[in-house]
Amino acid sequence: MDSKITNKRNILIAVDESENAARSVSYVRDLLAGLPGFHIALISIIPEPSEDYFMSESERTAWIEDKNASARSILEGYRKLLIEAGFGDEDVTVHAVMKECTSIAECILKEQEKLACGTVVIGRRGISKKEEFIFGSTSNRILHTARDCAVWVIE
Amino acid sequence: MQQIVSREKVQFNRDELTNKIEHWLGPERVPKQFNIITDTTDFFRVDYDDIVILGDKPYLVRNNEREGRFGIDEQQKFWVKRARDLSDGSVKIIKLVFHERFEAKVGGIVFECFRSPKKEARILDLTKGHPRFMQGFSLNDSSNNIIRIVDYIKGKTLADAILTCGGDHEDYFYNHFPSILDEYIELAEAIRFLHQRGEKHGDIRRDHIIKEKETGNSRWIDFDFNYLHKENMFSYDLFGLGNILVYLVGRGDVTFQQLLQADSPLVGKLTSNDMNIIFNNRVVNLQKVYPYVPDELNLILLHFSMYAEVFYENTEQLLHDLREARDRLHRS
Repeated sequence: MDSKITNKRNILIAVDESENAARSVSYVRDLLAGLPGFHIALISIIPEPSEDYFMSESERTAWIEDKNASARSILEGYRKLLIEAGFGDEDVTVHAVMKECTSIAECILKEQEKLACGTVVIGRRGISKKEEFIFGSTSNRILHTARDCAVWVIE
Repeated sequence: MQQIVSREKVQFNRDELTNKIEHWLGPERVPKQFNIITDTTDFFRVDYDDIVILGDKPYLVRNNEREGRFGIDEQQKFWVKRARDLSDGSVKIIKLVFHERFEAKVGGIVFECFRSPKKEARILDLTKGHPRFMQGFSLNDSSNNIIRIVDYIKGKTLADAILTCGGDHEDYFYNHFPSILDEYIELAEAIRFLHQRGEKHGDIRRDHIIKEKETGNSRWIDFDFNYLHKENMFSYDLFGLGNILVYLVGRGDVTFQQLLQADSPLVGKLTSNDMNIIFNNRVVNLQKVYPYVPDELNLILLHFSMYAEVFYENTEQLLHDLREARDRLHRS
């Protein structure tokens, strides 16, 4: 099989607890459920705060456990949703990735590369111009910097 | 609780310390009584005329430092002490540990901020010998609090220093601003130095640049602020750099209210697109106020306006445009 086609059918969906993540998953479900050959990688990036954020190691450990548990719960929920819609059990994988990120978009794209996904799906939060100015926009950054993959931005 | 140690427990006895105070400050400044402190956990109890022993050095505590941005609204920073190093008489700023976590609100946007001694200690190490950063070192007190001991910089903030440069704004812009812009570019390069090493300044604002009286060199101060960033770790620092640049070009803030009070004809010509994207009363499109501000420079300013569709993502992009703009200005 052509490797590029294989990549295109590897679809990464970046999710978090937001509404727009739910819309992204629903979009992929409605579009592709029941079609053969697609593999979905559900990714949750958990930006790990620098060590400065925590006053103690125990606080840091508790924070990490809490965020990991929350991400796993969200990922498993979406995995179940996709399988119930007709995706094969082995065709939906989940990845909770905790790391220090100077840019969340870059972290998502690193996972895309690692998992050889030819398509990245991400929701747009619809943040204000002010907020984009102060904090940046993950969907915009992915749109501008993604290479060798298609990007679906779900409104 | 703060531990007040007895003289038997430290390497200096009271007579030695008294002699040192007398030597560096004169006999009239020797306090009748003083506490000797090695544990600074309760920084409220570290007071004027106390002696703090840190490492192998005694420091005589003087006043609390103040947050000096607004002049009339100065707040004491009880965890930041001015002190005299009794081993050589030099003035130091001693920053004690104050953990603070809070929600900051800028332009209606809320984000989580925290103060981190660890971050500041790390940056002091990273920038050792760098001419554009305050200099100092960190060590632990007897309770393992990370204390930062910083060289006191005698001088004004850069923001205050420029206010008296030149006659009218045109004189300022042509005869003083080019060298100020050179200085600013070096300060922005210093921030790039941090960003390239995965650190942010965290609290870039105009009163965090001190122009050293002796050398005329400007340095960044205060790196203990941090925040949970979202997409771009550096965009809040870039926002700070933009605000300072606008201030320097305008020789101070140019606000809509000022123009209104002065009955300026510009009032009718300004639109919301000419204003700062966050602080909507500040004019960013300064070419409308000062027509001799060249396009290249004004376009940089517009990146920080309501008009902007594209924002700087990193310091390198800003520096690239700044160098081009600088080339167009008359050499000072």
